[in-house]
Amino acid sequence: MAQDFILKIERLRKSFGTYQVLTDVNYELEKGIIAAIIGPNGAGKSTFFNLITGYHKVDNGKVYFKNIDITNFKRYKIAQMGISRAFQVSNIYPKLTVYENVRQAVLAQQKKTMNLFSYASSLAQKETNELLEITGMTKIKDSIAGILSQGDKKKLELALALAGKPELLLLDEPTAGMSQEETFETMELVKKLNREIGLTILFTEHDISVIFGYAMRLSVLYQGRIIAEGLPEEVRQNEEAQRCYLGEEI
Amino acid sequence: MQRRTFIVFFLIVMAVVLPLVVKEFWVHIFSEILIHALFALSFNLIFGYMGQLSFGHAAYYGIGAYTTGLLMVKANLPLFVCLPISMITAGIAATILGYFCVRLRGIYFAILTMAFGQLVYYIIFQWYSFTGGDNGLQGINPPEILMKAQNYYYFVLVVFIIAGYILYRIGESPFGYTLRAIRDNAERTEFIGINVQRYMHMNFIIAGMFAGLAGALWGPFIRSVAPDLCNWHHSGIPVFMTILGGPFYFFGPLVGSIIYTFLMAIVTGYTEYWPLVSGTIIILVVLSLPSGFLGVADNVIKKLFVRGN
Repeated sequence: MAQDFILKIERLRKSFGTYQVLTDVNYELEKGIIAAIIGPNGAGKSTFFNLITGYHKVDNGKVYFKNIDITNFKRYKIAQMGISRAFQVSNIYPKLTVYENVRQAVLAQQKKTMNLFSYASSLAQKETNELLEITGMTKIKDSIAGILSQGDKKKLELALALAGKPELLLLDEPTAGMSQEETFETMELVKKLNREIGLTILFTEHDISVIFGYAMRLSVLYQGRIIAEGLPEEVRQNEEAQRCYLGEEI
Repeated sequence: MQRRTFIVFFLIVMAVVLPLVVKEFWVHIFSEILIHALFALSFNLIFGYMGQLSFGHAAYYGIGAYTTGLLMVKANLPLFVCLPISMITAGIAATILGYFCVRLRGIYFAILTMAFGQLVYYIIFQWYSFTGGDNGLQGINPPEILMKAQNYYYFVLVVFIIAGYILYRIGESPFGYTLRAIRDNAERTEFIGINVQRYMHMNFIIAGMFAGLAGALWGPFIRSVAPDLCNWHHSGIPVFMTILGGPFYFFGPLVGSIIYTFLMAIVTGYTEYWPLVSGTIIILVVLSLPSGFLGVADNVIKKLFVRGN
């Protein structure tokens, strides 16, 4: 039934205490596209990602990844199955160098982290350097990650997510804190990954130019419900979406 | 890298030569330094590498000590056979108790490790028929060839170098870096596909095994074991040594053990108030040297190096 969809979500519901964050959200994501979820702060975008990746427990509803029910799977299991995520607030290893950060994620993907006696420094060099190269971090690879600029931390965040060789990549405001140039480079990289290796990408973003510049499909989340969905142009014309989020900017 | 190799080589030469030129009392102190250092190195896998404070590590040290003690006294097994068996028994205890501990983090982890440590202590303390209760076990004599202080010291040194090398390799391995990753950001580590609890458990077991090995060397060294080896006071020793030396350096616990044991040997010659002195030192170190003595040395060397350039 959901054959063409890499991700399918049915009647997803989540509340924190008495506050209902998501109310019966249904969502389908086609394989191989770049899609965006937009909405005002507090609409439930991050919670939506948190439920897909196992960060929070789902109250009700189902999450299917490649037709497998992954609802409430453990976080590491979901990551191993092929869903990677980059966080809104960068979530890295502050005391390790940039290189060690990325290598750790590569070693995890290669399932070499139980290795007790090889030198970590002698492993995964090629893959780590490649990731540093494509994310533009080769020059800062020996820097301690904790002292990087916000923009560089976000790049590292993306590199960590890519190291998992995911089939589905979730990016929570991937360009927040980046300069215009960095934003452009990052989104071009996302586009390239989508085009060249067919990576499916779902992102949230506030930057309207990024949303309409890169997303092939848009969904508008408002007060825990999806109120509009479709091609960017359709959503742009949607009255409810305009009233609730896009406003007069469009 | 070369600097480190040189330092290790220098330390080993010192460790081999010094006991030949000093009085027997100091040879005993050297043995004590190494045994405590191995105990503290194993503790630091949990503290410095994994970022959790175990306040019950003496339980595994004590289990190792009692395993060797009991096997030597009651079953007449040779010491060389007892050492690996002690590692196994301490490892089994760490497997069971660690299963529960690694479900918690931070202060809760510390308290549960301490609670389990005290549990082990009371079992050993109360089980007169098997462990000798508060009398402990006496007459744990090492084999004839190791009866001389110097010989036992060299035996301890060999075991220490082998165990230390294994621990070093573990620290530099992908597993070791995964521990650092868990320390830095356990949440992120799950999202790169790592079962954090499983790695913490595995590390807890390894740390327990090496603490057991250190404990196994202790009994034949002082010819007896007592339940106090498992008590929470004793769990404080590796904490103290590691903080003193520097938890983020592999050699931190060794340096801490050298300073601690020497100081104790000297201070107790003058006064019985050793805990007062050690307490004062730990307060000063925590307040002024948060990365321990090696942290200070590292900074000084780096500054000299930069200036030199």
